[in-house]
Amino acid sequence: MPAPDDRTEKQQAAQQAVDILHEISTLLNCHLDRRTLSICISMIENGVNPEALAAVVKELRKEGQIDAAAAAAAASTTARRR
Amino acid sequence: MAYLAQLVGLVEELVEAVTVIPPTDRKKTLACRESALRGIRHHSYLRTNQFEVDDQLKGLEERFRVIGRDPLADAFSQRLDALEGHRNKYTPDVLRFLLELSDQPAQNTKLGD
Repeated sequence: MPAPDDRTEKQQAAQQAVDILHEISTLLNCHLDRRTLSICISMIENGVNPEALAAVVKELRKEGQIDAAAAAAAASTTARRR
Repeated sequence: MAYLAQLVGLVEELVEAVTVIPPTDRKKTLACRESALRGIRHHSYLRTNQFEVDDQLKGLEERFRVIGRDPLADAFSQRLDALEGHRNKYTPDVLRFLLELSDQPAQNTKLGD
């Protein structure tokens, strides 16, 4: 079992790697927040194919946009009725 | 089985982070989760070629310079150099993922962000 100091060092190194990757994602204009990026990195480290994951993220974004549009439409209909 | 349970947990987190579905809409959340799991488990993509990823990254940096966005190219190159110290066997995969999601960085990236 690794010593607690070892674990802290490893966690810090992992944290730094995520920070750098987040900066790269910002420079590439990926529209990813830190939390989403961390989840995606965990998934890739669990063997998920990166291209398949990117396709899933794009699909989920589309779903999210449809939902947001539907919510906005419902809100404007309610406002008009009043 | 443990792997699948872990993957399902991560997919649920991803759905929550990416979509704006209200937590009360359980049906929609489940549909998104199932569709995401399907997309992740059944696909026809090849394994990542790290040399191809490196070439793409170099090409992108060159493109930034060609269109006169030297500060962006410098920032990009600096981050890639910094990442070298933290490289592991998943780094090419993560970079491949970021390249897939990149959205016209040469035109749209604002360095102030």
